Amino acid sequence: MSALILISVLGVVVLYLGLFDKKSWLAPIGVLGLLGAIALFATGWHIDHPLLGGMLAFDRFSTGMNIGMAVITVLIFLFGPDYYHRAKRHVAEQYALMLFSLVGGFLLTAYTDLVMLFIGIEVLSIPLYVLAGAKKHNLRSNEASFKYFLLGSFSTAFLLMGIALLYGLAGSFDLAVIGKHIAEAGSSNMLLNFGLFFTVTGLAFKMGAVPFHFWKPDVYQGAPTLVTTFMATVVMMAATAGFYRLIEGTGMPGTLARILVLLVLATMLVGNVIALRQTNFKRLMAYSSISHSGFLLLALLTLNGTAEQSASVGGTLVYYTFTYSLATTGLFILFTIAKRACNGAEDNGIFRGLFAAKPWLALCALAMLLSLAGIPLTAGFIAKYQVFLLAIGAGWLKVMGFGVLMALLGIYYYIMVAREVFVPSEQPMTFTVSPLNWVVVSLCAAAVLALGLWPGWLV
Amino acid sequence: MELLALILIPFLAATWLLFARPAMARGIALTSTLLTLALVLWLWYTWAGGTVIAVSHDWVPAFGMRLVLGYGGIGLLMLVLTGLLFPFIIGTGWKQPAGDPALVNALLLFSQAALFGVFMAQNAFLFYIFFELSLIPIFFLLLFWGGEHKRAITIRFFLYTLLGGLALLFSIAYLTLQTPAPHSADFTALAALHLPMGTQVWLFWTLFLAFAIKMPIFPFHSWQPETYVMAPTQGTMVLSAVMGKMGLYGIVALVFAFVPEGAAYWRNWVIGLSLFGALYAAVIAFRQNDFKRLVAYSSMSHFGLMCAALFTFSVYGITGTLYQALAHGVLMVCLFYIVGAMFQRTGSNDFATMGGLKTKMPRFALLFLFVTFNGVALPLTQSFVGEWLMYTGFWEFDHWTAFAAVVLIVLGAIYMLYAFQRVMLGPDREVSFADADAEEHFFLVPLIAIFMLVGIFPNVILHLVDGPVQQLLNSIALLN
Repeated sequence: MSALILISVLGVVVLYLGLFDKKSWLAPIGVLGLLGAIALFATGWHIDHPLLGGMLAFDRFSTGMNIGMAVITVLIFLFGPDYYHRAKRHVAEQYALMLFSLVGGFLLTAYTDLVMLFIGIEVLSIPLYVLAGAKKHNLRSNEASFKYFLLGSFSTAFLLMGIALLYGLAGSFDLAVIGKHIAEAGSSNMLLNFGLFFTVTGLAFKMGAVPFHFWKPDVYQGAPTLVTTFMATVVMMAATAGFYRLIEGTGMPGTLARILVLLVLATMLVGNVIALRQTNFKRLMAYSSISHSGFLLLALLTLNGTAEQSASVGGTLVYYTFTYSLATTGLFILFTIAKRACNGAEDNGIFRGLFAAKPWLALCALAMLLSLAGIPLTAGFIAKYQVFLLAIGAGWLKVMGFGVLMALLGIYYYIMVAREVFVPSEQPMTFTVSPLNWVVVSLCAAAVLALGLWPGWLV
Repeated sequence: MELLALILIPFLAATWLLFARPAMARGIALTSTLLTLALVLWLWYTWAGGTVIAVSHDWVPAFGMRLVLGYGGIGLLMLVLTGLLFPFIIGTGWKQPAGDPALVNALLLFSQAALFGVFMAQNAFLFYIFFELSLIPIFFLLLFWGGEHKRAITIRFFLYTLLGGLALLFSIAYLTLQTPAPHSADFTALAALHLPMGTQVWLFWTLFLAFAIKMPIFPFHSWQPETYVMAPTQGTMVLSAVMGKMGLYGIVALVFAFVPEGAAYWRNWVIGLSLFGALYAAVIAFRQNDFKRLVAYSSMSHFGLMCAALFTFSVYGITGTLYQALAHGVLMVCLFYIVGAMFQRTGSNDFATMGGLKTKMPRFALLFLFVTFNGVALPLTQSFVGEWLMYTGFWEFDHWTAFAAVVLIVLGAIYMLYAFQRVMLGPDREVSFADADAEEHFFLVPLIAIFMLVGIFPNVILHLVDGPVQQLLNSIALLN
C-alpha cells in the first residue's frame, strides 16, 4: 500500500517539477521514487493481509510482478532524458502519466474484487490514451491515440457488462464469492457463461489477444517510441497479471477453458504468421507481442484452481513477462538510436551496419532478439520452456504442439532482424549513443543472458 | 576439468577472435583446435571403459536441468571425431578462405565448442542446448559467406533443423515430466523410465525427427543438397563431417536409450526409409554434373546406410555405423577439400570444366585417387571396415536388406569412380592448372595416412565402441 501511495505522490511531484521547468530533474526524481517503491515491495515480500476492505491483496505473485514493472519503468525512465532531449514542453506530464498508469498496473496485480479490476484497468488505460497521442502534431500519433481510446472504451464496456453479469450470478464483486458460485453453478449457466465471456473479452483486449488485437500494430506504430516501449512492457505485464488474478479467483470452469483455447490458438497463429510479413520494426514488435501473449495465455490455460498450480503458473508469468520486457525495452532503445541514424526511417533495414559501427551494441541486440525468439541460454528460452512444461503437465499436448510450430515461425522473423544487424550498410552509418542508453541496453542484454543462465534467481 | 576445458578453449579463443580481431586469426584458431585435439587424445588414452562423469552440478533443479558432462565409449568416439577434424577444417581456411578470417574462425570455433558439448552432455536438457547452439554459428557462416541464393537456402536449412530441435525439446520436456519428482532430465533418469508402449510409439517420432533432419534421412532431406552446395567449403565440412554425426549419436544416446520399444516398433519403417533414401541419393549422385552436388548426395547416401544399419540392432550393424561415422567424417573433409581446390582452379563445380587433368596435375590426381579408394571402400581403407561391418549387420537382420545394401555399396563405388574419371581422366587438355602445392599435400597426406592406418588397424577404434554397443543391445534386449 505504501508503494502505491508513494508512486501516486511521485507522479504529482513530477508534475510540479514540470511546473517549475526542471526538466533535467524529472528522470532522476522518478527513478529515485521508483527505487523507493521497489525497496518497499521487496522488504514487504510476504505481506499477505488484504487492503481496502479486502479489495486488494498483495501476495508473492503480485509483489514479484510489481517489482518487475517498477524495474522496467526505471529502465524506461533512464531512456527518457535522451529521448526527450529535444522536447521543450510537456515532458513532466509524460513521466507523470506513466507513473499513474503504473499505479493502475499495481492494482491489476493484486485485486481480489472486480470493482478493483475495473478501477485498475481504467487507471492503467486513461493515461495511455493521452500518452499515445503525445506527439500532438503527428498524424499517426493522433490516430493511435484515437483508435486506442475508441477500442479501449468498447472493451471497457464489455468488461463492465461481464462484471455486471457475474455480479448478477453471485451477488458480490468478491472473486472468492464468485468463484464459489461458479463452482456450484456448473458450466450450463448462461449468466455465468456470458459474464465470463465479456470479462475475458475486456482483459484479452488489453493483452492484445486475437481477435481483439487490431489496435496493437497501429497504436505501437503511431505512439512515440518511449510510450510504445511502456505499452509493450509494463502494460503487457499488468494485463497478464490481471488475467491471471481473474482465473485464479474463478477457477477454470469448462466454458472459460474453451474460450481460452480458442484465444490461444488464434493468437499464436495470427500473431506469428502476420509478423512474418512485417517490414516496419514497430509493427513487427506489435505482432511479436501478440504472439507472446499467445504463449502467456497458454500458461494461463493450465490454471486449474489448485494453489500449487497457481503458484507455478504465477512464477512462470512473472519470469516470462519480465524477461520479455527486458528484451523489448533494450530493442526499442536500439531502434530509436538506429531510427535517428537513418533520418526517421522505421523499417527493419535501419539496423544495417550496426555491427560494423558498434559491435558491442550489435551483440546486445543479438542476445535480446535470440531471447525473444526463445533460443537456448537466453531467458526467453527458459520462459517458453516453462510454458511448455506447464502445458504438457496439464495435458494440453496438441495445443502445445501447435505452439511449438508457432515458436518456429517466431524464430524466423527475429532472426531476420538479427541478420540486418550484421549486414554491412551501403553507406557508412553514424550511430550516436548516449552513455546512459548504452548502459541501459547493456543492462537489458546482460540481464537477459544472466537470467537465461541462472534462472534460479527468478524461478 | 578436462571436459570443461574442451568446451572453454574453443569458446574463449572464439570470443577473443570476435572482439580483438587479431591479424593471426587462423593461427590462433588452429592452435586452439590442436590443443583440444591433444586433450581429446589424452581422454582417449586414459579412458578405461565405462561411462566417466566428470562434472555434475545442479543448474535449475525445478526443470531437472543439471550440468552433467561425461563420456562413454561412443561419446568418446564422437569427441575424437570432432577433435580430429576441426584442425583440418580450420586449416582449409588458408587455401580456401571463406571471408573475414577472424569472424569465420570465431564462428567455426563456437560451433566446435557446442559440438563438444553435445557429445559430452549427460543431461537431456543440456544436450538440447548444445544441439541448438551448434547451429547458430553455422547459420551465420552460411548467411554471410554462402553462394547463390544464400538467404533463402539458409533460412530453409535453419527452419528445418529448428523444427527438429523444437520437437526434441518437446520430447525432452515430456520425458522429464514423467520422471518421479523432483524431476530430472539426466540420461540415467530418463533411461530408467520404461514408458508404456503407446507413448513410446509416438514419442519415438518426436525424438527421431530432430536427428533424422540433422543427418538427413529421406524424406527430411530436402534442405541438404542446396545447403551443402551453397555453403563455403568450411561450412559444408562442419555440416557433413561433424554435425550430421549428432544425428547418429542422438539416435544411439537418446532414442535407443529412452524409447527402445518405440524404436523396435518402427525399425522396419526407418530401415526402409533410410535405405530408400540412400538408394535415391546414390542414383541422383550418379546423374549429377556438379562435383560438389555429387559429394553432397553421396554424403546423404552414406547417412542413409549408416542410419539403417543402426536400426538392425545387431552388434555388427551398430559397431559398423559408429566406425563408419568416423570414416565418413574423414572422407567428407577430404572430398570437400578437393571440390574446393578444383573450384579454385576452374572457377566452377561443373564437370564440363574438368577432365583430362591427370597429366597436368599428377600429384593432385594421386591424392584424389587415394581419397576415391576410401570413398569406394577398398580394403585397407577405413570405409571398408565400416561398410563390411554394416553389411554383416544387415545380413543378420534380413537377407533382402543385405542385398539392398550391397546394391548401395556398388552404386557408391560407381559414382565415386565416375566422379574421379570425369575430373581427372579423359583426353589431355591444354590448361594451366597448378598441381597440388605444399599446402595441399600438408592437408591431404595426413588425412590419407589416418584413414589408411585406421583401416589397417581398425581395433584402435573398435575397442572404444565394443563394450558400449554390447551394453546398449543388452538393455534393449532386456526390455523386449
